[in-house]
Amino acid sequence: MKKQKREFKIFTIAEYEQEQDYLRSQHQKGWKLVHLTFPGIYLFEACEKEDVVYQLDYHQQGLGSQETYVNMFKDCGWEYLFDFFGYSYFRKSAASMQGKEEIFCDEASRLAFIGRVFKGRMVPLLILFFLVIIPQTILQISNPGSDPHRALLYFYLIMVAFYAYVFIRFALQYRTLRNRAD
Amino acid sequence: MDAHIRKVYVPMTETGFYILLCLQQEMHGYSIVQKVRDLTDGEILISPGTLYGSLSKMEKDGLIRFIREEEKRKIYEITSLGIEVLQKEKERIARLYRTMQEEQE
Repeated sequence: MKKQKREFKIFTIAEYEQEQDYLRSQHQKGWKLVHLTFPGIYLFEACEKEDVVYQLDYHQQGLGSQETYVNMFKDCGWEYLFDFFGYSYFRKSAASMQGKEEIFCDEASRLAFIGRVFKGRMVPLLILFFLVIIPQTILQISNPGSDPHRALLYFYLIMVAFYAYVFIRFALQYRTLRNRAD
Repeated sequence: MDAHIRKVYVPMTETGFYILLCLQQEMHGYSIVQKVRDLTDGEILISPGTLYGSLSKMEKDGLIRFIREEEKRKIYEITSLGIEVLQKEKERIARLYRTMQEEQE
């Protein structure tokens, strides 16, 4: 049995580039990704140190079940790993590439990818934010008093801060991509 | 050709143009990649994520149609609407090229 290790890491919605870099640097150190468990437990297996590029695609239903989709990536030399909440994970060794390769080759398709992520992941979060988190926070603020209430208030304030962070990151990432495309 | 098609595909991306150009013959995704690589002396390498996105969008918009599946590969072909769009693009690019030549003189 090969040596394995687990690492816990959270990447927010817009941080797929950071995640790709993280997985690539792990492989360079001799750890290849084998599995990912909710909420962010990465399982690695010891391997030869190698420069391998990791890439994420996103389709709401996940596309692992679509053989023709996975096969198209395979034809182009990308190994399909697994789906995780709509994200499909691929990797390809840098040595087998012609120059720098990514699974998207123009900004239009990169923007379309971000658009799919927005629809699939951000829209539900936004709905939750405006229908639950914000009203609950206001309710807690206008109803101060006993300690359990205060604890709830802090909880919701933390949620608001966390959501704000995720939204801002996403907006910034989107702006960067847009600027690159213009 | 309706306003939506015109807005999205005229002008179109370089990848989109090559895909339509190739699909004048029936072909599957990876053979498009190979053909474009040959046509451009390795200059343009279409990536699978971009290719998949373009093919599904063009199929939805009726520019190409799915014909059959062979060995886990979907084979597509251009439609009459696709030919019309391609023709528009060819004219646009030809005009671009002519203008460039004239300006150089």
